Amino acid sequence: MKINQKIFLQFGICVIFFGLIGILINNLTINLTRTGLGFNFSWLFKPASFALAEHPLPYTSSDSYAWALFIGWLNSLKVIASSLILATFLGTLIGFTRAGKNSLLGLISAGYITIIRQTPLLLQLMFWYFVGFLGLKDNIFNISNQGIEFSGLIFSSEFLALLLGLSIFTSAYIAEVIRGGILSVPRGQWEAFRSLGLSERKGLISIILPQALPAIIPGLTSQYLNLAKNSTLAIAVGYSDIYAINDTIINQTGRAIECFIILLVSFLLLNLLITNTMEFINRLILKSRKYS
Amino acid sequence: MEPIVIAKNLTKSFTKGLRALDNVSLTVNQGKVLVVMGPSGSGKSTLIRTFNGLETFDKGELNVLGIKVDSTHDERKIQKIRRRVGMVFQQFNLFPHLSILENITLAPVQVQKRRQIEAEEYGMYLLSQMGVDSHAKKYPSQLSGGEQQRVAIARALALKPELLLFDEPTSALDPERIKEVLDAMRRLAEQGMTMIVVTHEIGFAKDVSDQVLFMDSGKVIETSPPNIFFSNAKNERSRKFLNQLDNHYSES
Amino acid sequence: MFKININSIIFIFKNLKKTFFSNLFNTIITLLIILFISAACFNTFAWLMFKANWKVVLSNLPLYAFGSFPPNEQWRPATWIITLLILSIFTLCGPEWKWLRKNLLKAWVGTIPLGIYLLYGGFGLSPIMSRHWGGLTLTILLTVCSSLLSLPFGILLALCRQSSLPLIQKLSSIYIDVMRAIPLIAVLFFGQLLIPLFLPLGIEIDRVWRAVFAFTLFVSAYIAEDIRGGLQSIPNTQVEAANSLGLNQYQVIQFILIPQALRIALPALTNQSIGLFQNTSLMAILGLVELLGVGRSILANPEFIGQYIEVYVWLACVYWIVCTIMAVLARHLEQRMTINKANF
Repeated sequence: MKINQKIFLQFGICVIFFGLIGILINNLTINLTRTGLGFNFSWLFKPASFALAEHPLPYTSSDSYAWALFIGWLNSLKVIASSLILATFLGTLIGFTRAGKNSLLGLISAGYITIIRQTPLLLQLMFWYFVGFLGLKDNIFNISNQGIEFSGLIFSSEFLALLLGLSIFTSAYIAEVIRGGILSVPRGQWEAFRSLGLSERKGLISIILPQALPAIIPGLTSQYLNLAKNSTLAIAVGYSDIYAINDTIINQTGRAIECFIILLVSFLLLNLLITNTMEFINRLILKSRKYS
Repeated sequence: MEPIVIAKNLTKSFTKGLRALDNVSLTVNQGKVLVVMGPSGSGKSTLIRTFNGLETFDKGELNVLGIKVDSTHDERKIQKIRRRVGMVFQQFNLFPHLSILENITLAPVQVQKRRQIEAEEYGMYLLSQMGVDSHAKKYPSQLSGGEQQRVAIARALALKPELLLFDEPTSALDPERIKEVLDAMRRLAEQGMTMIVVTHEIGFAKDVSDQVLFMDSGKVIETSPPNIFFSNAKNERSRKFLNQLDNHYSES
Repeated sequence: MFKININSIIFIFKNLKKTFFSNLFNTIITLLIILFISAACFNTFAWLMFKANWKVVLSNLPLYAFGSFPPNEQWRPATWIITLLILSIFTLCGPEWKWLRKNLLKAWVGTIPLGIYLLYGGFGLSPIMSRHWGGLTLTILLTVCSSLLSLPFGILLALCRQSSLPLIQKLSSIYIDVMRAIPLIAVLFFGQLLIPLFLPLGIEIDRVWRAVFAFTLFVSAYIAEDIRGGLQSIPNTQVEAANSLGLNQYQVIQFILIPQALRIALPALTNQSIGLFQNTSLMAILGLVELLGVGRSILANPEFIGQYIEVYVWLACVYWIVCTIMAVLARHLEQRMTINKANF
């Protein structure tokens, strides 16, 4: 009787759920036929006819929408990967000073963390872009219209503002993850390496950090995922990432539903990429600990 | 005398070969106190937990307060039993987010649909019976283990149960706190409450119980009145167990 | 008394010496930091007082607070915000009157219909369209409505994910995982541009409420995971104890599991609502004129063109202050909860 009840309940919920979805999809098809767009992906292979300021692979406006989207995905990947490295570096540094002994440095990093964490990322991005890179363009950096040149590589101000904004924002969160990880190591371990005569820095790197890593990695993974999701705010500074290009295409073609699906799939792919990489790193760490 | 619990050939196996309960049969009559003893892992906790449906069994029959339960574990019947049987746990298991009084009134109000005021009055009466009425407004974490366990007994009594189950009620307590809980249980027995108690407290078993049931590896080894069990146990294994207990207590 | 003070001062001084000037390297670092801090402070101060042109902020204060709400009706959102502030102060100070302490939660929930009534009008107040809502008022409205809606929805999702019914468990898992994988801006985009496509002809939902709906969809997935964490950390003995008292499945969920899970998840939940408050700024890209949107529209005004730093610093201050108030309230709430801490 109990089992029957369960099946009945599930069945009922399913009927309601799929009924609702059915009604919504019905509305959608009515609305789509009314606008005369329908639902298909054949437009993907028509020429995009918009220019992209930034493209790691060759791209012209006569290339297809699909290629434009792929370029966007690569642009996303580029900014995510570079901010990920910068943010990890910054965050680790700040996390160490926050957990370290020097209370003056600790105070500064605490101030940094509260300012960064208590203001919206979008505001910070706009600040870096409009104030940091457009405003100071002429007087300090002497930036050309193309961007900043670094040993032959040219970075646009959009990319740099996004990189800086994302890295600084994420670093404040990573710092807290690192600090939490360091604090999770029992106090006795600190006393132990000090009593062995190891220096503070050496002990931190060779004794404390390896033990803190298992607590740090999951937090780090979720911060990296957040970073990837936050990179879509690129649209606010005009950097053509996957979201910005989808947005442009929707404005041009009106294919909102299709573009939304493409966006969903691209992000699921990105997530898979990041989680799998982190899992791989995690496994490497666990393995190295086993044999050491 | 009316039987409260009748168990017939209860059998439960955890994993292949290992039996938590092996053909256990017993009867507890109204107003009687049954003490269940045995080494750890002998199945005594499993046995007592089957009586209010916290554990299922594979074979056999169980009759609690006239409600028959078999291996199909009918939820409704179990629910009926639970409303008339109280249980006290080793780890007290008070609800940490509720005050002491709320811990006690929750079930009467929600299960028996009694009025809040009425339930509170009766709850305060029970707390004063247990000697912890001054803590009514506090939260469980502010009380000592012995006080928490007495609150747990009051909580079990709040539903006016016809049978009380105790699952090692003093095992998690500091030695100096054990007495206050045992005294409370003693008073309950004097008032004629039917009780099944899993415990290692020999003194309590000697003074209060009507029957002692000894279990080992899921089997009932021996059931005797306490004076016989403790002075002249019939079975070799019970004697060995008692010896070990004696040694343990003389050491500590 | 006096002696003790001197002793403690000497002690602090010695400690300072030990941490900052113990060796040459530390001394240099400390001096450098102090130099850096004073330089930064001096420059900031000089800029704030002399260089910055605060006209862009001062002459637009009503705009930041209320958006384009009609000037002679601006007392309405002002009343609402002041009510919220007073309530925050009351909550923090811990009022003496017992009835207020008891009804604090109800008062907080009550601020939402009050706010909506004051903004929409009707029943004696002149009705005002939602496109005139804006500024800090709109930011707070979005935050409060979305967090309050996403809490029950999040609890429901968490319970479904823990459910023993495989189909329901799967559906809610998929929902939660997909929602957590996609960026917020995509969900908000969905709310603004795609929801109208899913509605039958003639039915329209206001833009503000579509935003609230989208935020709710997004945040409830995160809340669900926080609550699930709470649910998982409740020991099974609690359920057993409740069961042996005769409570049925629903009563166990209602009286034992949810209250305890909420308490455990409280810090995470308050973080979610602080994050939500910051994330409402994303609506500035999607066409609502909330706090950041007001900043953008002011910067687009030829009179104030190029005054980015002043506007952004000002907005950052406002966001920072509100976030800090929320964080302090949250800390206060957590402390009051830990007085009757769980004893698992």
